[in-house]
Amino acid sequence: MKYLLILLLLAGCTTTVPVKQKFPNATPELMKKCENLKKIEGDKVAITEMLKVIVYNYSLYHECSTKVDGWQDWYNEQKKIFDSVK
Amino acid sequence: MFILSILPEAAIHIIFGLGILGTIAGFVLGFIPFVKTYKLAIQVISLLVLVLGVYLEGGLADYKEWELRVKEMEAKVAQAEAQSANKNIEIQEKIVEKTKVVREKGKDIIKYVDKEVIKKEEVIKYIENCPVPKEIIDLHNQATELNKAATK
Repeated sequence: MKYLLILLLLAGCTTTVPVKQKFPNATPELMKKCENLKKIEGDKVAITEMLKVIVYNYSLYHECSTKVDGWQDWYNEQKKIFDSVK
Repeated sequence: MFILSILPEAAIHIIFGLGILGTIAGFVLGFIPFVKTYKLAIQVISLLVLVLGVYLEGGLADYKEWELRVKEMEAKVAQAEAQSANKNIEIQEKIVEKTKVVREKGKDIIKYVDKEVIKKEEVIKYIENCPVPKEIIDLHNQATELNKAATK
């Protein structure tokens, strides 16, 4: 009778079966940091040299902005996929 | 249920079956001499076994349903992981392509400045007579480090 009682009590114990969803990895390109902006070297600089540095910095900005857009894209897409698992 | 992971499925069915058989024996087959002698004991024990059997059968059915749902969920998760990996490749390619275009266009403009703009007479005159003042260069350089001010 004692064993039967133990058996009945144990019968109610639950076991959890975890189904884990792995956190998605970000793409390597998104993990790269944005470069620092370039400075103008020298004291007496021609306007064209300054222009070249400015153009270079603009392209750095656009590269970085592409990464930010990429992160937003990545988040939205991954969220959609994550939410679809229910 | 923990017990379901220990007991084999057949044992649960046997417990349930024994419960039914015992109950029938205890309540219906009372005319058999052996059963007649232990009638009360058979009735009590078989009822207990039947209750346990019904409980375990219910648990087993529930366990199987959950197992099925877990498998479904695992399949969904695997599919989502594959989708996620594909999306990552798509995004990676898009960024690499965009970055390449931006970089090339920037280089093209710089090349154009070096090859064409510099040759123009009015530009040559301007370069010779009007170097950019140091103050403006310093301000430009300070502006490139605006982010450092925020990290201090």
